[in-house]
Amino acid sequence: MQLFVAYLANGMACAPRPMPMTSFLVLLVVAFPVLAALACAALPWRAGRTAVVIATGLVLASASIALLFVPTGTVSSVPVGGVSLDTIVTVGDFALLGIMFAYAVALRSAIVGTLVVLQAGPLAWFETTMLDHSAEVPAFSIDNLALVMVLVVSIIGSLVIAFALPYMDEHEKHLHVTRSRQPRFFFFMTLFLGAMNGLVLSNNLLFLYFFFEVTTFCSFMLIGHDGTKEARESAHRALWMNSLGGVAFVAGIFGTYGTVRTLDLGQILSHGSGGLLLVPVAALCFAGFTKAAQVPMQSWLLGAMVAPTPVSALLHSSTMVKAGVYLVLRLAPAFTGTFLGTAIAMCGAFTFCVTAALAVGQSNGKKILAYSTISNLGLIIACAGLATPLSLTAALLLIVFHAISKGLLFLTVGSIEQQIGSRDIEDMWGLYARLPRTTTVAVIGIVSMMAPPFGVLLSKWVAIESASGVPIVVVLLALGSALSVLVYTRWAGMLLSTPAMSSRPSPETQPTLAKVALYSLAFGALVLPAALPLILNRVASPMGIATSHHLEDLGISLGRGGGALAFVPFYAVIALGIALTFVMSRSAPRVRFTAPYMSGVPGDVRATSFVGPMNEKVHVVASNYYLSSIFGEDRITVWVNAAALILLVVAIVGAVR
Amino acid sequence: MSTLIVRIALAVTVGLFAAPIAVGLLTGVDRRVTARLQSRRGPPLVQPFYDVVKLLAKEPTAGNRAQIFAAWTYCLAAAASVVLFCLGADLLLVFFVQATGSMFLVVGAMSVPSPFSQIGAQRELIQILAYEPLLILVFVGIYMATGTFELSAIEAYPKPLLLELPLLYVALGFALTIKLRKSPFDFSTSHHGHQEIVKGVLTEYSGPFLALTEIAHWYETALVLGICALFWAPSAWIAAGLVAATYAAEIVIDNTTARVTWRWMFRYAFTAGLAMCAVNIAWLYVR
Repeated sequence: MQLFVAYLANGMACAPRPMPMTSFLVLLVVAFPVLAALACAALPWRAGRTAVVIATGLVLASASIALLFVPTGTVSSVPVGGVSLDTIVTVGDFALLGIMFAYAVALRSAIVGTLVVLQAGPLAWFETTMLDHSAEVPAFSIDNLALVMVLVVSIIGSLVIAFALPYMDEHEKHLHVTRSRQPRFFFFMTLFLGAMNGLVLSNNLLFLYFFFEVTTFCSFMLIGHDGTKEARESAHRALWMNSLGGVAFVAGIFGTYGTVRTLDLGQILSHGSGGLLLVPVAALCFAGFTKAAQVPMQSWLLGAMVAPTPVSALLHSSTMVKAGVYLVLRLAPAFTGTFLGTAIAMCGAFTFCVTAALAVGQSNGKKILAYSTISNLGLIIACAGLATPLSLTAALLLIVFHAISKGLLFLTVGSIEQQIGSRDIEDMWGLYARLPRTTTVAVIGIVSMMAPPFGVLLSKWVAIESASGVPIVVVLLALGSALSVLVYTRWAGMLLSTPAMSSRPSPETQPTLAKVALYSLAFGALVLPAALPLILNRVASPMGIATSHHLEDLGISLGRGGGALAFVPFYAVIALGIALTFVMSRSAPRVRFTAPYMSGVPGDVRATSFVGPMNEKVHVVASNYYLSSIFGEDRITVWVNAAALILLVVAIVGAVR
Repeated sequence: MSTLIVRIALAVTVGLFAAPIAVGLLTGVDRRVTARLQSRRGPPLVQPFYDVVKLLAKEPTAGNRAQIFAAWTYCLAAAASVVLFCLGADLLLVFFVQATGSMFLVVGAMSVPSPFSQIGAQRELIQILAYEPLLILVFVGIYMATGTFELSAIEAYPKPLLLELPLLYVALGFALTIKLRKSPFDFSTSHHGHQEIVKGVLTEYSGPFLALTEIAHWYETALVLGICALFWAPSAWIAAGLVAATYAAEIVIDNTTARVTWRWMFRYAFTAGLAMCAVNIAWLYVR
């Protein structure tokens, strides 16, 4: 752990060296999406918008990859057109709070209004009386955590937006929209990427707050995009809940500055854990909790499912919610080994378990994904709270692999919904016969969520190993993990539930951009885990969060050599198994395909009925167990929220004491 | 280097061949003992092998291609988990590989639109939900006692784990009964052919593919019994005795209990089972 702290201290607080290439790339990943967003808003034609979105994706992907090869460290703020970046951010802050207040008035929402005032007032006071404006604080800082986040945001986020291009055409056709609202839609989607990149690269706490608020505002606009009553209500809920996080963030800024007299994140974290700093850190973590929709604040994420599916895919895989877990993970050195850390781990593990249980009772596909997302975010936060080198590694891996698999699953549910007109999984029985391509991709997404050797499961494995010393956390992880297996296995099984077919089903047509997004993500989900040792060695190890010793611990499998080699025997056995499975199941040409057993003569070839008494066809219906007497939303949500609230209060009171 | 190769070769041989054959014989013993308890003569000891060979020789029929894939995945994942166990891999990884196999058994059963197979699959999922947390917690208990998840290091632990983890062993026995799909927890396969869901999760597997699920089940049983043996690792003889006694207890339970409902099992696993795990783990923690 000292290593991690020392790394952050050295990496972030050292005197800024001139790094023209790094500065340029940072500017590119933050500012380019902003310009692209303006272009999307201004261009009335579809072709122009498509070109802008694709170009943004390519620029962001290449810039984020290029960032891997330039020197890292801090980047000072450069004046833009003679105005310092600090001033721009300050003006931006108040402008944004002003817009939000205007929305609060328009929505007649006292709660949003109050929360905005509670941010703007103290912030104004802080800027005018407390803050020493002459102190030079590097605006941005690049380390491996930030690099990983930028890669996730830039590549997965861009793929989601590319998918959204054909999706939104279909969406508007379906809603019979007379005047396209796509310029507005793509403005906020693209702006989101810039804000997220800014957020994860910020070294100045005020910058971080600004980008944090931009993501809150963008999500508000995107959730309410369709303008229905339900959409407006959900957007409002997302706004007030995240504004609560904003208030906590401002309190955190106050407390931090009051304690250590700086807003330089690198310097703040170099103070180590414990002491007076714990209180503001707890406030900042609470802000992260709201953004990551931890119980009892999960309802905004569930409500966000009314938005067009690409919004869900963007907000709940690679951006928005990941901003919340990023914040907690970033602050880990400040609560390592403290009561606050353990309490955060407990809150995260509790969320992981109960939301996995809530997912069991759902048949709405997007809601299942929503609960599963909250669940995985809880796991990441649990790992961040434990703050051991191993658990931080698990958190980092989960951020990457969850973003890929969950992005993929949201996009497939979106595709399915547009093609069958329903997002209920009970309507997805035997979908393979109708939509073989989409279904195959969906099954890949599901399997990548829960089976070895794929990333999410491997991360979960590292998480459980790292939590083994904390009994309560590990019990919750064991329960939650089993519950999510049930949810996903069931789903995969029903998608494939088709009668014997004489020939392969004819593939459906998919728009090119949808194909690109779906297949790239599926490819990433399948292939990237093979690079796990490389990721660990190249990213986690230099970060200091997993030393070579810990990598050996991880590679406990077979090789004692440590490092990447340790994974080889495990992969060898698994790869051999998978290869054999494919060979054996393909090499069965003589197989005769038969109708299922029905306790009677099958009534038709599609095996949906049998011939009953009086030669009547008896229709057969089977559906899932949802165990709603145990896992029903209406049954347990109240208790879950109450318990989570108690846990939160205990965490915060414990930090204050 | 050469000793390493010999070690790996030995582990692969034991895992791939010796373990399932031993469990096949054990199943034969099980059937004989059960028959005697019911005042029957019972089949020959090697009857389970005859059964599997007969199934393998049958004409391959299946519901669809996904089911074939699932049957193979179930069998090969179970085999891979036993091989990894014999190689001394990480206990949790071994478990996750095995769990993948179980998941595919369910996926295969659900992939055929047969109500019997689908009800059986749903019930099997509930069985998985009941035993998975127990198994993970048993592994965590082993970690807390030995400080490692690595099987080769756990085997080298000098003290018998049973003395430190008695309650976890009971929980493991509970998981074993569910995993074996023996009475009172046989409701996903409803082991007696004439009962209401025919053969549950296995209804639609037939011929060679049913043989695959049977072989996979041997591998799974070998794995769980291997985990039981870990509880007295210092002495191979006592470990063997422990496994034999545990399996004998399973036979007695199988023959003296009636099938319960899933609600009953679920409640029991999530209260009694988890409580035993929690008490044992808490004791290890404060010790």
